[in-house]
Amino acid sequence: MFLNDWLITPLRVIWDDWRARVGGIIILLYVLMGTIGVVLISEPRPGDGPRLIRPFQDWAHPLGTDINGNDLFAQTVHATPPMLEMIVAGAVFTTALAMVVGTLSGYKGGIVDRLLMTFTDILLTIPGLPLVIVLALVLDPRQPWVVGVILTINAWAGLARAIRSQVLTIREEAYIEAARLMGISTWRILLKDITPSLMPYVLVNFVNAARTVVFASVALYFLGILPDTFLNWGVMMNYAYSVGGALYTSGTAHWLFVPLMTIVVLSFGLILFAQGTDRVFNPRVRARHASQDDLEPGEDDMSGEVATQIRG
Amino acid sequence: MVNYYLARTAQALFTVFAVMTLAFGLIRLMPGGPMDFVRAQLQQEAGAVDQAQINAMVEVYTNVHPEQPLLDQYVDYMSGIMRGDLGVSMWYDRPVSEILAMALPWTVFVMTISLAFTFGIGISLGAAMAYAEGSRFDSISTLVSIFLNSIPYYVAAIVMVYFLGYESGMFPIGGRISSDVTPGLNIPFIASAFYHAALPIASFVITAFGIQALAMRGNSIRVLGEDYLRVAQLRGLPPHDIALRYIGRNAILPMYTGFMISIGFMFGGSVILEEIFAYPGVGFYMFRGIEARDYPLMMGAFILITVAVVIGVYVADLTYGKLDPRASTKGGDREAF
Amino acid sequence: MTEPEPTTTKMGRPVFEVEGASVTYDMDRGVSRVLDDATIDIFEEEILGVVGESGSGKSMFASSLLNAVPPPGTLDGEIRYHRDGEVIDLLGLSPEQLRRVRWEDVAMVFQGAQSSFNPTISIRRHFEETLEAHEYDIENGLEHARQLLADLYLDPERVLGSYPHELSGGMQQRALIALSLVLEPDVLVMDEPTAALDLLMQRSILSLLENVKEKYELTVVFITHDLPLVAGLADRLAVMYSFKFVEIGRAEDVFSNPKHPYTRALLNAIPNLDTPRSRMHPIEGSAPDPVNVPTGCSYHPRCPLADEQCEAAEPPLAETTDKHHAACYYWEEAMEEIELSIESDEPAVDDTVVGRQSDEPVVSVDAVDVHFEQGGGGLFGFFSDPDTVHAVDDANLEIYENDVVALVGESGCGKTTLGKAIIAAQRPTNGTVRYRGQDIWGTRDGRVDGEIPWEQIRRSLQMIHQDPGSSLNSHRKIKSSLEDPLRRWHPNMDPGDREERILGMLEYTGMSPPTDYALRYPHQLSGGEKQRVALIRALLMNPDVILADEAVSALDVSLRLEMMDLMLELQDAFDTSYVFISHNLSNARYFAGNADGRIGVMYLGELVELGPVDEVIDEPLHPYTKVLKWATDDMELSDRIEDPPIRGIDIPDPVNPPAGCRFHTRCPEARTVCREESPSLDEAVSAHPTACFREYPMEHPYWDSEPVDDAEETVTGDPIDAG
Ligand code: SF4
Ligand code: SF4
Repeated sequence: MFLNDWLITPLRVIWDDWRARVGGIIILLYVLMGTIGVVLISEPRPGDGPRLIRPFQDWAHPLGTDINGNDLFAQTVHATPPMLEMIVAGAVFTTALAMVVGTLSGYKGGIVDRLLMTFTDILLTIPGLPLVIVLALVLDPRQPWVVGVILTINAWAGLARAIRSQVLTIREEAYIEAARLMGISTWRILLKDITPSLMPYVLVNFVNAARTVVFASVALYFLGILPDTFLNWGVMMNYAYSVGGALYTSGTAHWLFVPLMTIVVLSFGLILFAQGTDRVFNPRVRARHASQDDLEPGEDDMSGEVATQIRG
Repeated sequence: MVNYYLARTAQALFTVFAVMTLAFGLIRLMPGGPMDFVRAQLQQEAGAVDQAQINAMVEVYTNVHPEQPLLDQYVDYMSGIMRGDLGVSMWYDRPVSEILAMALPWTVFVMTISLAFTFGIGISLGAAMAYAEGSRFDSISTLVSIFLNSIPYYVAAIVMVYFLGYESGMFPIGGRISSDVTPGLNIPFIASAFYHAALPIASFVITAFGIQALAMRGNSIRVLGEDYLRVAQLRGLPPHDIALRYIGRNAILPMYTGFMISIGFMFGGSVILEEIFAYPGVGFYMFRGIEARDYPLMMGAFILITVAVVIGVYVADLTYGKLDPRASTKGGDREAF
Repeated sequence: MTEPEPTTTKMGRPVFEVEGASVTYDMDRGVSRVLDDATIDIFEEEILGVVGESGSGKSMFASSLLNAVPPPGTLDGEIRYHRDGEVIDLLGLSPEQLRRVRWEDVAMVFQGAQSSFNPTISIRRHFEETLEAHEYDIENGLEHARQLLADLYLDPERVLGSYPHELSGGMQQRALIALSLVLEPDVLVMDEPTAALDLLMQRSILSLLENVKEKYELTVVFITHDLPLVAGLADRLAVMYSFKFVEIGRAEDVFSNPKHPYTRALLNAIPNLDTPRSRMHPIEGSAPDPVNVPTGCSYHPRCPLADEQCEAAEPPLAETTDKHHAACYYWEEAMEEIELSIESDEPAVDDTVVGRQSDEPVVSVDAVDVHFEQGGGGLFGFFSDPDTVHAVDDANLEIYENDVVALVGESGCGKTTLGKAIIAAQRPTNGTVRYRGQDIWGTRDGRVDGEIPWEQIRRSLQMIHQDPGSSLNSHRKIKSSLEDPLRRWHPNMDPGDREERILGMLEYTGMSPPTDYALRYPHQLSGGEKQRVALIRALLMNPDVILADEAVSALDVSLRLEMMDLMLELQDAFDTSYVFISHNLSNARYFAGNADGRIGVMYLGELVELGPVDEVIDEPLHPYTKVLKWATDDMELSDRIEDPPIRGIDIPDPVNPPAGCRFHTRCPEARTVCREESPSLDEAVSAHPTACFREYPMEHPYWDSEPVDDAEETVTGDPIDAG
C-alpha cells in the first residue's frame, strides 16, 4: 500500500511522460558516471596518450586528449563526483531553507512574515552572480559541498516566495481549518496537508537549484575565481581556454567543447525531468494510474505552471 | 495608490542601503578579507613606511578608515558612497567611480537591448505557440525552447566567439566600438556600437527567450480559458483588440516576475559575458578587479551592478502598478517582489 | 413544434424558433450529448424561464441561442431568429453576420460577473470598446449606458470610473447586465445571472430586471436552477432534465400544475417558507451522465411511475393541455399520484417538534466583538492605514445541547465570523465565549484554570465548510482524511476498528460500497458526497456543537433536503448541536424548524432578531427580517415580483457602518431618531428579542420622530455632494 502509493505509482506516472523519461535517463547516466564510472575508468594522468587527439578518432581515448595527453573522457568522468556533491548540497540547502522560510512566513503571518519577506525580497534583488563571486573570493571555499551552498546563497529566495504564496492560499482552504479545529498539531498539518501540495514547486525548484549550481560552478571555475582544488568541467574549460588557447589555436577546440557539451546535456536532462514529473503530484493523474479510472482529458496538464517556475 | 508607490520606493532604498552595508561588512569585518589584503599589498610595495601612512593609504583606496571606531567607519563609508566616492582602483590607480562611470552606459546598453529582445521574442513566440496549441509548430517550439534554455549563456558566448569571431571573423572579438569612429550621435558610431554588442546580446537572447516563451504560452492558454475572453468574443470585439487588450495584457502581467529576475540575472551575468567578449563594461572591470585582487574596483562594481538592478526592478515595479489596477490593493497576479 | 396563432396569452410573434438543436462533444469515453434535440419557440417580449439542475444542459441551450457553443462542441439542428419580419438562420450565418447578431440583437449575461470583465481595464472601457466594435456612436452609447446603470440603481459615474475588482458582486452583476443591454438588443439570454449572489440581491435584481424589460421591450431567456426564483418573473417556464426539455408551459401552469414527474418531485424538494416541513421530500437518485444517458425516458431510474414502456422508448414532448407540453407517457397519472406538497389536503400544520434542548448552555457568547484589520502588509506597510472591519459587534447568544440555531443574513453581515467565534475558531476582539461556563480563550491561554482542559473544548466544537471542493484535501484518499480525527483522539484504537468505524459511517450516510468510497480521492466524489464526508469527519470527533457554514448552499436544490435530513438524523444519533449558517431563510426554516430551534438574523455585524423558527418566519418583527422574507422563495404565485421593500440595494461598507441603527440607510421604516440612536437586542425583555425601536415595549421617541426622507438622506448622507 505505502510502497504502491509513494513509489510504484509515481514511477509509473513518470515513465508515462516522454520528457520525464528522457530527462530521468540522462540524470541517471550522470549519476552512474559519478559513481560506477569513477571506479571503471582510471584517473586521467598526463601522458596517458598522445597530445591533442581529436574525439572519435582513437577508441582508447573516445573524446580525445588535451595538450598534455590527458584523456578528456576520464577527466569528464572524474569531475562528476564533486559536481554531484555540489549539486546535492546546493539543491538541498536551497530547498530546505526555502521550505522553512516560506512555510513559516506563510503559516505564521504577522511580523515574522514581514521580516522574513523583506529579507527575502532584498536577497532576491541582489544579482546572484556578483554576490557569489564576492563571497567566493572572501571565503575561498575548498570542499565541494561548501561551494554548492555558496553558489545557491540567494537562489532560495524565489522559491521561498513561491512557497509562501502557496501556503497562504492553502492555509485558507477549508480542510486546513477543519484539521486545526480537530486539534491536529501544526507540524502534522504542515506535513500531511500542506507539503504535498507544495511538492511540484519543490521538485521543480530542486532541479532549478541543481542547474544553478552546474551553471555557476562551471562559470566560476572557468573564470578561475574558485580555486581548482578538484577536477571540474569548468576547470577543463579554463585550461582549454587559457593554456590551450582553444578559441584561436587550431586543433584544441574539442578540448573546450567536450566539457561544454557535458554541461548542456545535463542541464537539458534536468529541465526535461522537471517538466515531466510535475504530473506525479497531481492526484487526478495518480488516481487514474492506480485504478485505471478514466477521467476527462486535459485535466492533468500543468506544464504551463511549471514553465513559469523554471527561470534561468 | 500613493501608498503603494511610497512603499515600493522605501523598499528599493532599503535594499540599496542593505547592499552597501553588506559590502562594508565584507570589506571590513572578514578576517583575512580585503582590508588586510590591501594592507599587505601596500606594505609590500611601500616597504617600511610607518603605520599611520599605511592607514591613510588604505583609507584612500578602500574608503574605510581603519583607525576610527566601527560606527564612524561605517558612517564615513556610507556617506562616501552617497557622494559617489567608491575609493581608488589599485590596478588602474584611478578613482573607481571614474572608471565605472565610463563603463556603465555600455553595460546598460547591452542589457536593455538583451532584455527587450528576450521578452519581445519570448512573448511573440509564446503567444503564437498558445494560439497553435497542440500543433507541430507548438511541440517543436517547446522542444527548441527547452533545449536553448539548457545552454548556459556563457557557453553560447564561447561558441559564438569561436565560430563567428575567431573562425570566420564576421564579428569583432573585443571592444565596444571600432577605433576609427568618433563618439557622438552619428550613424557609423551607432552602427559600430551595435556591431560590437551583437554577440553579447545574442548570447543572452538565444539562451533566455525560450523559457519566457514557455511562460507566455502557459499564461496565454490560461487566459484563453477565462470567461471574460468568451464574453469579449461574444461582444464582437475585433480580434486584434482581444489579442492585445485581453490575452496580451493579462498574459504578460504575470511575466513581470520573470522580467525582474532577468534584470538581475543579466546584469550579474555581465561579469562573465563581458570578459569573454572583452567588452569593457562594468562586469569587465569587476572581473579585472577580481583578477588583480583590486578590491576597491571589485566592490565598487559590485555595488554599482546591484544599484543598477535595484533601479531596474523599481522602475519595472512602478510600471506594473500602472498596468495592473489590482496591484495596489491585492498585489495583482504577480507573486514575487 | 408548430404552434397555432396564440389566442389566450400575451404571447406575440416568435423571436426564436429552435428545432432539434443538439450539442455534442467527442470525448475519449464516447460522444457526450449535452443538449439533446431541443425544440422550443420563444416569443416577443416574453420572459422564458429555463429551469434545470446542474448538468441538465441548460447552459448549452443558452449558448446555442447565440450560436456560441464552447469549442470543440458542435451544434446541429435549426435555430431561426426573427428580426423585424426577417428570418435569420443562426447556424448559417457568416462569421461577420454572426458577430453583428450577437450583442446587437441577442446579448448574454453570464453567472460570474467578476470573471466576465477583463480585470485590467475599466468598466467604462468595456462599454466603449463594445460600442466601437459595433460602430455605434460612443457619446450616445455612453449616455444610454449611464441611463441603464441608473435604472439598475447604480451610480453611473462611479461605476464607469471603476475597475471590476473595485465593485461588489451585486454591482458587478448589474454592470454586466447594463453592458449586455448597451447595444439595445431585442433578446437577453441570462445564464444563472444571480446564482452567485445573496437571495436579497437576487430578488432585487430580478425586480429591476422586470422594470428594465418593460422599459426596453426586451425578450428575456432566464436560465436558472432555482424554480421558485423565476416562477414569479417568467411568463413561461421550460424545465430541463438530462439535456432535454421535459416540460414547457405557462409559468402558472408549470408551477402550480406541473405534469412531468420530475418537475413535481423538484417542487417538493425545494425548501420554502410555505410548505409544511414534513411534506418536503428529496428526489432519490442522481442525474445521469452525458455519456451514459439511460435508454427510453431518461428519468425512469428515478421515476416512481416508470414501467417497461418508459425504459424502452423515449416519450415525446407533446401537448397535454392548452399550451402545456410534457414529455411523459403518464402525465395524467403523475398529476394524481405524485402529490404536490403545497396543495395537499392534509392540514398544513407541522407536527409540533419538541426540541430536546438542555437547560444549561454548552456555549455562551457574551458581548463578543470581532474586528479585522484590512490592508497594510510588508515591512513598509506603514504607509497605508489598515481599515478596521467590524465583522461582529456586541453579540450575545447561547447554544444548548441538541440545539439548532440558524444564523441568516446577507454576505458580509458577519454570520460566519460569529459562527466561528462560537466554535472557538475565531478569537474575539472583545467579550467572552464560554464552554459549559468556562472561558474558552482563557483556558487556551492558560489564564483560567478550569476543570475542562483545552483539548476537550477543542474537540467538542467542530465545523463543516461551505465549499465541498475545498473541505477535503485533494491529495488524500477519503479514508486517510477520515482517519485523522480517530488517530488524534483515539491513538490506541486498533487499525481494524478504525477502518470499521469509518466504513460504517460511510455506509450509514449512503455511500456504498464503503470500501470503494474509502479508497477514492475527493475529485472522484460528487459535491453532496464530499459534504457528507466532511460531516462524518466532524462527527467522528463526537462534538457538542457543529458549525455548518452554508453547508448545503453549494449543492443542487434537490440535494439540499437530503443533506439537511441526514444532518438532523445524525443529530439524534450523536447528540450534537448545530449552528447553521445560511443566507437562505427557507433552508434555515427547514433545518432549524425540524429541531425546534431558533433563527438569528444578522445585519452588518449585529444580531437584529432572534427567536423561535416559526415566530421569526411567520411574524418577523425587525424590518430587515421582513425584507429577507420578501426575498425568499415563495411557493405562492399570487404575489408577483414587486419592488423590494427596501430603500437601497447595496449594503454599506462594514469599515464605516452607519451610525445609529445600522439598518437606517435601507430601512423602509426608518425615522430620524434611528440615525442617532442605536437599538439593542435584549434577551431579557422577551423570548423573541428584536433590535428595533418599533418593537420596544415602552413608549419610544421613535414614534414621535419624523420619517426619513430619501431625498434629504442622499444629501446629508454624502457631504461631498452637498457642498
Ligand atoms: S415517461 Fe415514464 S419514466 Fe419518464 S417521467 Fe413519465 S412516467 Fe416517469
Ligand atoms: S430602529 Fe429604525 S432604522 Fe432600525 S430597523 Fe427599526 S425602524 Fe428601521
